[in-house]
Amino acid sequence: MTKMVIPIGPQHPLLKEPLFFQLTVTGERIFDSTLRIGYVYRGIERLAQERSYVQNLHLLERVCGICSHIHTTVYCQGVEALLELEVPPRGLYLRTLLCELERIHSHLLWMGVLAENVGFTTIFMYAWRDREIVLDIMEELSGGRVAHAVNVVGGVRIDVGEEQAASIMERLDQLQGKVEDLLDVVQHERTFRARTQGVGKMSLEQVRRHCVVGPVARAAGLDVDLRRDAPYAAYGRLALRVVTAQDGDVWACTWVRMQEALESLRLCRQLLLELPEGPLAVKAARRVPAGQVVSRAEAPRGELLYYIRSDGSDRPARIKIRTPTLPVLSALPEQLRGVHTADVPAVLSGVDLCIACADR
Amino acid sequence: MQLEEIVHALRKAFPTASIEPRRVPLDEAFVALPADCILAAVKLLIERFDIYHLSTITGQDTGREIELLYHFWAGGGLTLRISLPREGARLASVTGLVPGAAFYEREVREMLGVAFDGLADQRPFLLPDDWDGGHPLLAHRPEEVAE
Repeated sequence: MTKMVIPIGPQHPLLKEPLFFQLTVTGERIFDSTLRIGYVYRGIERLAQERSYVQNLHLLERVCGICSHIHTTVYCQGVEALLELEVPPRGLYLRTLLCELERIHSHLLWMGVLAENVGFTTIFMYAWRDREIVLDIMEELSGGRVAHAVNVVGGVRIDVGEEQAASIMERLDQLQGKVEDLLDVVQHERTFRARTQGVGKMSLEQVRRHCVVGPVARAAGLDVDLRRDAPYAAYGRLALRVVTAQDGDVWACTWVRMQEALESLRLCRQLLLELPEGPLAVKAARRVPAGQVVSRAEAPRGELLYYIRSDGSDRPARIKIRTPTLPVLSALPEQLRGVHTADVPAVLSGVDLCIACADR
Repeated sequence: MQLEEIVHALRKAFPTASIEPRRVPLDEAFVALPADCILAAVKLLIERFDIYHLSTITGQDTGREIELLYHFWAGGGLTLRISLPREGARLASVTGLVPGAAFYEREVREMLGVAFDGLADQRPFLLPDDWDGGHPLLAHRPEEVAE
């Protein structure tokens, strides 16, 4: 059969961020694909070497427009390790609270994007409407809907009062009902299941070969989650249920993410209930002793890694950022092979790409 | 486990390997290896310990040499450190063992000018196709380059 080449991107209605795909199709099936990133490369790793540790908080929060808080969390815990600082428990709890709120926000945003891309506009509207609840909470806590600037080296800069905590709990309960409703609809809507089940399967073997992380790896049956496997922040004190599935298709990704959102809601409530008293942060020196550190955390999309090397000055000598989208992109051409062209939007949104993160 | 066991196995297999003498925060073990051992070391990690997860490869120009750090995850962090000369840095590609390493090797290649033998995809990764501004992460200011 004749092969045809279809370019997608860098600017394309299907893509929320610039990315270039070249799909080779035979008939209606994908035969091969290549991809190219770098269209939003901003040279952040180099820029970070030119800025002080304090200035870098603001720069690194802007690596990603969705999971901004987890970037500063990983960065701060790395710098805190180099400074040998112990963050007060209340600071750690609030840092973790924002991490979990961000996960809910990211997963609901993703649910909307997937629903829109498979033609289920109602769920797109509902998911994004419900996401406003968690965005409002984050805005109320930090002043920002997307960039929160909550972390500082040594702790956090925000606090939660008792009355505020009660009001947040109330809204989390409300959101819980809405997420359950969303899950109920997508679970029982036959068209949605038909568009996602068995589509874009990734095998456990592919996950391992490409070192894939996060919900995509868990959807294929890999039981990894750094919140449980290498507890950071306050996760050591929380009982966490790691959600996995077996099939590795878009439906499995949906199920894992929605279950994770419900689990995060539970964690948020636990964090607020058990919030310890005490200071929010400790004072950090501007100069960081020479040394190197690898800091990891579970971002909404999976393992986020920062390598930080200090030469003893007030600026890092090297900051390396590895975001969870990169390994997912690496596995994508294999995942797309044999997929029906009409399913490409479902597969691309199913893995939840963040191109700004990947490019840095 | 097993992190101690792995480090011990690496030292046994590569007598010239050295454990970084410094305190390692966040449970990360750093093992320095000679450059020609990288393939054998990654093979040992995969075959003997079933460690397949390469988180990334960090490349850095310390001013004296190019350092490559292979960050593995083995229930705890394990980093293999390789040092290469600043001029004509060259290393075997591990993509035959870890296909997911291709992206990271391509990034190190264009950011620091390290050549990887056996890396099939030599296209630009993050930089534009017509980029002629050199390797962005090489130390290029006098104070960054060691005498």
